[in-house]
Amino acid sequence: MTTPPYDPTRPTPAPAMPVPPLPGPTRSAPHMTAPPLHPPVGADTAVPVAPEQEQARRAPVRDRYFDLLRAVALFRVVLYHLMGWAWLPVAFPSIGVMFALAGNLMARSLKRPAVQVVRSRLRRLLPPLWLLGAVGVTGMVLQGWGPNEDGHPGWWWFHLLYWVLPLSDPPFAEGLPGIHGILGEDWASELAGPLWYIRAYLWYVLLSPVLLRALRALPWLTILAPLVLSAAFQFGYLNLPGERFPSALTDFSTFGACWILGMAHQEGVLKRLPRYVVPSVAPVIAAVGLWYAFREGFKTGYDLDSIPFAQAVWSFATVLLLLHVSPSWSEWPRPLRRWDRLITLLNSRAVTIYLWHNVCILVAATLWDQLWGFDVVYEHVPWLLESPWPVLVVAWLLIGSCIVWFGWMEDVAAKRTPRLWPDGGKPSAAKQPRARAAHRG
Amino acid sequence: MASRTRRHGAARSAREGSRRRLPLRLLLPLLVLVALSAMLMLRGYVHSEILADHRVQPPAATTGVPEKILEGGPVIDVRGGRTESVSVPDHRLVLTFDDGPDPTWTPRVLDILKKHDAHAVFFVTGTMASRYPDLVERMVDEGHEVGLHTFNHPDLSFQSKKRIDWELSQNQLALTGAAGVRTSLFRPPYSSFADAMDDKSWPVTEYIGSRGYITVVNNTDSEDWKKPGVDEIIRRATPQGGKGAIVLMHDSGGDRHQTVQALDRFLPDLKKKGYEFDNLTEALDAPSAMSPVTGAELWKGKAWVFLVQASERLTDILVVGLAIIGTLVIGRFVLMLLLSGVHARRVRRRRFRWGPAVTEPVTVLVPAYNEAKCIENTVRSLVASDHPIEVIVIDDGSSDGTARIVEGLGLPGVRVIRQLNAGKPAALNRGLANARHDIVVMMDGDTVFEPSTVRELVQPFGDPRVGAVAGNAKVGNKDSLIGAWQHIEYVMGFNLDRRMYDVLGCMPTIPGAVGAFRRSALEPIGGMSDDTLAEDTDVTMALHRAGWRVVYAENARAWTEAPESVSQLWSQRYRWSYGTMQAIWKHRRAVIEKGPSGRFGRVGLPFVSLFMVVAPLLAPLIDVFLLYGLVFGPTGKTIVAWLGVLAIQAVCAAYAFRLDREKLTPLISLPLQQILYRQIMYVVLLQSWITALTGGRLRWQKLRRSGGVSAPPPGADGIPPQRRSGAMDGRPVG
Repeated sequence: MTTPPYDPTRPTPAPAMPVPPLPGPTRSAPHMTAPPLHPPVGADTAVPVAPEQEQARRAPVRDRYFDLLRAVALFRVVLYHLMGWAWLPVAFPSIGVMFALAGNLMARSLKRPAVQVVRSRLRRLLPPLWLLGAVGVTGMVLQGWGPNEDGHPGWWWFHLLYWVLPLSDPPFAEGLPGIHGILGEDWASELAGPLWYIRAYLWYVLLSPVLLRALRALPWLTILAPLVLSAAFQFGYLNLPGERFPSALTDFSTFGACWILGMAHQEGVLKRLPRYVVPSVAPVIAAVGLWYAFREGFKTGYDLDSIPFAQAVWSFATVLLLLHVSPSWSEWPRPLRRWDRLITLLNSRAVTIYLWHNVCILVAATLWDQLWGFDVVYEHVPWLLESPWPVLVVAWLLIGSCIVWFGWMEDVAAKRTPRLWPDGGKPSAAKQPRARAAHRG
Repeated sequence: MASRTRRHGAARSAREGSRRRLPLRLLLPLLVLVALSAMLMLRGYVHSEILADHRVQPPAATTGVPEKILEGGPVIDVRGGRTESVSVPDHRLVLTFDDGPDPTWTPRVLDILKKHDAHAVFFVTGTMASRYPDLVERMVDEGHEVGLHTFNHPDLSFQSKKRIDWELSQNQLALTGAAGVRTSLFRPPYSSFADAMDDKSWPVTEYIGSRGYITVVNNTDSEDWKKPGVDEIIRRATPQGGKGAIVLMHDSGGDRHQTVQALDRFLPDLKKKGYEFDNLTEALDAPSAMSPVTGAELWKGKAWVFLVQASERLTDILVVGLAIIGTLVIGRFVLMLLLSGVHARRVRRRRFRWGPAVTEPVTVLVPAYNEAKCIENTVRSLVASDHPIEVIVIDDGSSDGTARIVEGLGLPGVRVIRQLNAGKPAALNRGLANARHDIVVMMDGDTVFEPSTVRELVQPFGDPRVGAVAGNAKVGNKDSLIGAWQHIEYVMGFNLDRRMYDVLGCMPTIPGAVGAFRRSALEPIGGMSDDTLAEDTDVTMALHRAGWRVVYAENARAWTEAPESVSQLWSQRYRWSYGTMQAIWKHRRAVIEKGPSGRFGRVGLPFVSLFMVVAPLLAPLIDVFLLYGLVFGPTGKTIVAWLGVLAIQAVCAAYAFRLDREKLTPLISLPLQQILYRQIMYVVLLQSWITALTGGRLRWQKLRRSGGVSAPPPGADGIPPQRRSGAMDGRPVG
């Protein structure tokens, strides 16, 4: 880091940690009450991760507002999976937001031929999953998981294919012992917990060409259809046999409206409404969602994730408002500039962070629990052992190391030169000429 | 309208100055609001609607309670490390009354005790003592003892030490404030006999002892709160075989007439059996448990009780206010629905005519100050008029070449008059002096007319009694939320309020954006005046007093652009509401005059004041009680009531939209309007009141032009869109 190139828009980057460094440890394992959140997978498919390159090609400029939403969503996902506070998904429905952003990008890409777009999306989504599978499944097998697990070796091998193409949830070993003091028990279920998002994402990508056509023909019917489906599930009008199919369809119906809203935003459907409509209607929809959640017994441990219809309605309303507000920043507003690098990093490594964060939380909590072994700590600062905040710090440190260890796969998937720490901080090849010109001038 | 700013620089510095002083102009409304909420919080607090905790601990083991307490008497003294309990001597009864004082039953209990010359102990809660301090004082005066029963009656075994301390000190504070004493007697809520102490309640008793209190439980429990009948209460309260006892009764918490009746028999009966009824320390021959308080503590207590009393009274007043405003609001809606229906029916009759058709040419006055962006659209829309007109643009010292633009158009029948900046009333008067025709139409430099607007506007002059006509101003830019809200407001204002005022003959304002006058009506009253900020209201009232009719022409539509930012809207409404107050004040003498002026003064003026100045002042009560109801309950009923009011509004709005043949879709922003927009208007009005009462002066606040393009009026082809957000004077209501 010698003299950075002259760039009037970029202030000196602040090395801000995303984690509020409050004191307090937790000995409890991470909360995994509900389905996990999703990574802005492929978030950057259409819009390249490296803003510089994109600008160089004069492709669409990154919408920094969307970048901010994606980073906040990701941070909240990690926070929620550690804390388990019921109000967090209400305060910011990350999953809905991330699906909406992804849907928006998908619709943008679909100006090209559909097959090509779907293929490129899958190419960017799957390799990071394969990397997780390679590490994870190996670990499970080492700890004794194998074809004879449920007595149906054929099925075991077949289901293993879901690690390659997650049309349904990839299988995992239950009740593994872990590694004492480092990796908690039953780690495989933590590892596989977030994968439903990948599966749902995959299905949205596959269906997007159809959804887009429907959206163009009957915009609002298409947007609302998933909500109707979700209501049908919630109120028991629709019962499907088995486990894999209903769970896939429930997830699809819960967040489908958000995905399609993202597409609709890109298609300009929302702009065709008078501007007063969304702010007038969205709060009412949100209130209905919240009211239903409370009616169903909303509380910590039984939050929006357990009440899919409430989740669907609340996420829909929030996403509607966020998209309505959408200011389309081509560059950061002044107060946010200092966060530029952090947000860029989170966006560049969204899939990696999402896939690995749950394991990181588990490891962090297990490590922190080791402190109970020290009497000095136990006697003098027991509150520190109880507090979840230090675990959050440790978890983010571990996530940082996962970015270094596994993040490169996202670059490989995108056919880019692998980078260890893509926070946009270093002068890139594309930028240098401009910088030099500035110096010369 | 003091002036439309002499110079631009001066205007800007004034605006910035007022922004820096923003805290000041907001300070008073804010203070009022904070004080109001604090008072309501206090009320919720002493009505046990905050911090209330109704959990009761189930029985627990008794292994941790000392044996001698379990088997000892009901007066437990664990102060300073002691562990003693005392019983009441034989043939002495100590009556104890819990949970009071109650405004209905405590006085009757006290009367019975007095009648039979008995003393007792009252364990009062802090909330009730704060609300009824006079009763506590009476207890002390009549020789009874008062003990603490916590502030709002939680089961202390669930509470933290901090909360217990708080319960005791707050209870003591209320007692001090009410009667000027403090006490060392305490009875825990939900307590009964000494042998009912258990491992949950004993630690609390010990802790309370360590704070210097004697815990008093009881020997016999009348269970009067179950209302088991007078005989049963007496049977349960009476101790066996002439023993002494502490008797538990209640003077609060419900209907206590059985308690009162039982006392009236119980006291003489047991007296005959040789019992004495003393307060606790008399029965134990101990020094009194109460000691007078002086100094700061006493004043703190008195201040507390005063505040609680004030909040009670304030709430009562607010409830009355709410009833008044509720009646007014609903009455007004009903009246509007009825009268606007009457009006629409009257003027839409097939054969309806004001009089002979008016076909004579009229003069249109367009006062303009820095209207460069809009003036061309305005003037061109006039030229397209299907009524013969003469257009006079009065340039009020514009610095942006407004006059040159008009001259450059070279349109026939359009004249430009220039003057040094002197304000809108002066500009209108100058135009009036130059008008060639007897009927004069006035509009703003940023308003667009339809081709038929002028013709429709002047038809009512076929009736020789009509002196002025108000047109129908409509919002062009209703795409944004704030635009849609104003659109609703305008449509309701012009189709309900204005029709109602028309029928009642007290239209308060001819909107500056579209109005017409008889010159022969204006000249005797001296034309426009700059006495007030709302010269349009002022002149309309003057016409009423001169005996002219002022009517509404629904088809004379003028399209205008509403303010697009809250601050612009704020200054506009501030000017309107303060100007209206000024105009009402200016014409106050009409109330005592004779003839048409007196009629207006005694009917129109009070009516207008009530609905435009007084009612809006009370209207925030609806929101205050909405919040109070949401927070302190009953939440469900509150929401239903609010939705009911909303439904009435929606019905009225929908009716107004139908009368105006408007699409109903903007009405979806009505609920949010009720939550966000109305309140801004209240604060503006409140601020106007404060300005009026403190004699402040309001500078003319020229709204900043946004240059936004308004939607072309639907169904009015050929009317160019116009941009603006200037000092628009569409005034839906006022």
